[in-house]
Amino acid sequence: MENINLFVLLANWLRQWLEGVGASPDVIEVVMDVFGTVGALVFILLNALILVLLERKAAAFFQQRYGPNRWGPKGVFQTIFDSLKLLSKEDIIPKAVDKWVFKIAAYLIFIPAILVFAVIPFGEGMIISDLNIGIFYFVAVASTATLAFLMAGWGSNNKYSLIGGMRSVAQMVSYEIPLVFSLVGVVMLTGSMKMSAIVAAQTKVWFILPQFLAFLVYFIAGHAELNRGPFDMPEGEQEIVAGPYTEYSGMRWALFFLAEYANLVAVCSIATTMFLGGWNPIPGLGFLPIPTYVWFVLKVYFMIMLFMWTRWTFPRVRIDHLMHFGWKVLIPVSLVNILVTGIGIKIYQWMGW
Amino acid sequence: MIKTQEISINMGPQHPSTHGVFRCVLQLDGETVTNITNHTGYLHRGTEKLAEARTYTQVIPYTDRLDYIGAMLNNTGYVQTVEKLMGLEIPERAEYIRIILQELSRIANHMLFVGCYALDMAGFTGWMYTFRDRERVLDMLEMVCGSRMTFSFMRIGGVPEDLPEEFFPALRSFLDDFPKMIEEYNGLITGNEILQARSKGIGVLSKEMALAYGVTGPNLRASGVNYDVRKAEPYGIYDRFEFDVPVLENGDCFDRYYIRVLEMEQSARIIRQALEQIPEGPIMAKVPKVIKPPVGEAYHLVEGTKGLLGYYIVSDGSTKPYRLHIHSPSFVNLGVFPEISKGHNIQDTVLILASIDIVLGEVDR
Amino acid sequence: MSDAVFTVAFYVFSAVTVLAALGVVLKKNLVHSALLLILAFVGVAGIYVLLQADFIAAVQILVYAGAVAILVAFGVMLTKRGDIRESNLANRQKWPALFVVAGVFAVIYALLGQTNWGPLAAAGPEDSVGILATLMLTDFVVPFETAAILLTVAMLGAIVIAKEVKNSK
Repeated sequence: MENINLFVLLANWLRQWLEGVGASPDVIEVVMDVFGTVGALVFILLNALILVLLERKAAAFFQQRYGPNRWGPKGVFQTIFDSLKLLSKEDIIPKAVDKWVFKIAAYLIFIPAILVFAVIPFGEGMIISDLNIGIFYFVAVASTATLAFLMAGWGSNNKYSLIGGMRSVAQMVSYEIPLVFSLVGVVMLTGSMKMSAIVAAQTKVWFILPQFLAFLVYFIAGHAELNRGPFDMPEGEQEIVAGPYTEYSGMRWALFFLAEYANLVAVCSIATTMFLGGWNPIPGLGFLPIPTYVWFVLKVYFMIMLFMWTRWTFPRVRIDHLMHFGWKVLIPVSLVNILVTGIGIKIYQWMGW
Repeated sequence: MIKTQEISINMGPQHPSTHGVFRCVLQLDGETVTNITNHTGYLHRGTEKLAEARTYTQVIPYTDRLDYIGAMLNNTGYVQTVEKLMGLEIPERAEYIRIILQELSRIANHMLFVGCYALDMAGFTGWMYTFRDRERVLDMLEMVCGSRMTFSFMRIGGVPEDLPEEFFPALRSFLDDFPKMIEEYNGLITGNEILQARSKGIGVLSKEMALAYGVTGPNLRASGVNYDVRKAEPYGIYDRFEFDVPVLENGDCFDRYYIRVLEMEQSARIIRQALEQIPEGPIMAKVPKVIKPPVGEAYHLVEGTKGLLGYYIVSDGSTKPYRLHIHSPSFVNLGVFPEISKGHNIQDTVLILASIDIVLGEVDR
Repeated sequence: MSDAVFTVAFYVFSAVTVLAALGVVLKKNLVHSALLLILAFVGVAGIYVLLQADFIAAVQILVYAGAVAILVAFGVMLTKRGDIRESNLANRQKWPALFVVAGVFAVIYALLGQTNWGPLAAAGPEDSVGILATLMLTDFVVPFETAAILLTVAMLGAIVIAKEVKNSK
């Protein structure tokens, strides 16, 4: 597609302007990175703002009720007022907590959520850093999210929190494996872990078709990675009150939820990039004058709606059922998928396509 | 050798899923429950003692506060005991009104149970569905007596007011929609794979244990004992209606859940028949202004929403009961909770507690 | 990346690594030590990135930082709760420790002297992952598979130990 989009134009203009005023290449690189990061941050926060409302509205829709409808038309300002309330709340730090661990955990949970966005191609030419190991970078960074839960659970000095933290470790470590394996099939088909190459390989056929099994595994494991129902073990409000979040209040508590929604966007973005053709338009609709980043956001929100649909339909599973399912169903299935993909690639090569 | 350290956690009296101010202390080995100790009494108001200082009519509102989910049945149980003590015959129409209101109350209670059971495994949507329909039942009860929770509607000798005109169309349309509601619950809640996997074989209450502990009501019938006071010792005019007593065999959480769904259908069946047969006529028997039952005692059983609800009244001939004792099913049923939860996951414990269906107002009296 | 940025980044990562490593040894709280260990690993990963070994850096974070989460979990589970603040106390093995550390530094020093520190003739490969993959599955397939078997054996052992705990109750 030749129509260069708005954001790429802006970036090019900024780069030219910096070169014009005679900045050194170092400064230009750093400034461009900073702007890219700020762009991603704005994207995350904007999405979190929308998602909090969307989740409540979606839940209300599934449950045949209205949802928030007081602030602004149809309650669109609800999140803003919620944030104001949370900001103005007292930041309670119980006396017996492990203070450093307790405080840092709330910030630390946000770091992997933001770092992941460095490799997500939002649109044509819109990627902060097109790493060679793109998808592997996502896997590595996402794996560290466990730590924040563990720190929060441990640092709170509360038995409910501790159980929640332990559950979170067990769950996220187990479900990381099928998550990674499900992505391997796509990498095999593309022959590269570079995000731009993966998107470019999907101009004709989206990988959801040849890799449908992998998509399902990714979708299920994604729930566990995000700690969203039916796999919201760490929170488990019916049993362990709020798990690691129990002792948090005010904005620190809100940070956990911001991070949850940032992670939701990240996981859905990866699903879009890996399986739904990234920023490619739907085949046959490429003639429409829709910018690539709009296609991307549309697909991401389609995925998010799928996640919300499952969350508000299914009850929570039990922790041992969760483990059985992860180790005895998802991992074998994803391994079979890798095997079948390998055989398929070899057959294609023999036939000379 | 590696040894694990048990931790004890305190569940309640402020906990999202103890259904009130119930407190129990769990001994956990990892996430497996090794021991539970019940601690009740946080809502103790001394209803039985208070009743000794009230006239017979003044006791009625106190019975509302026992099982506040199915208050109509508590009212009925109490007034029927006093009527038994006084030897009162009450008019036909009042009997039918009582039946309709009792069974509606039972449906409201079981809907709450089904919803909360789903909620206790985070099935938020299922909870909302049952509450949407429960709202219609409560609206109807509000039409009748102006209250949604503590009705105090039954009187010694009948009912104070006739059913209002707008009640009947509302009830008919509710009964017409009722099979569709049950179908929805079965689709969304009962048929859910996760719910079935989590509740089948969990918290099994054997027939023998149920009988030994004196468990009654749906919990007993889920363990395979066919005992329903409405059939075994019919009170009021229950013997005039055709209905089945659902009995399930396994006694696990799923059976305790599903038997409530089946019972709702039977309750609707009773209401349909009552609606057809209800005669015109007076709604209040001739009762003296000051109620002074003769010296004596009476024990009366009704099938409450949670099980066998018994009232024992001793009269010394004055205007106030000499002694009132309430046999509350929730309290008795709660006794098996530590027994059947041992060895299960902490998540199941919550589910088992939900499946026993307790109301703290009744546990603590 | 130019030299200035490279140098600044190198010193930042080195400082983080060294300080975190010191913290691991000096902190009295086991959990704090374990968490600082993660920070040290992340610092090392940053240095890998500066060396253009991006794949190794990601592995460093995935395996070490992830594995340490499990380490912390075990630390928490195997330590009595009451005395966690004093769980990583220094013991009386100062002198043996000094000898071991001196030995390690001697080996490192010897290796440093033997290494040829001239600049690389060719630039690093563009697609390091592809080359690594080919190497692992051709020249080094035997060590690769041996490692896999070793890990499986270790996992089975762990399962057996865990099961035994249950039976002994």
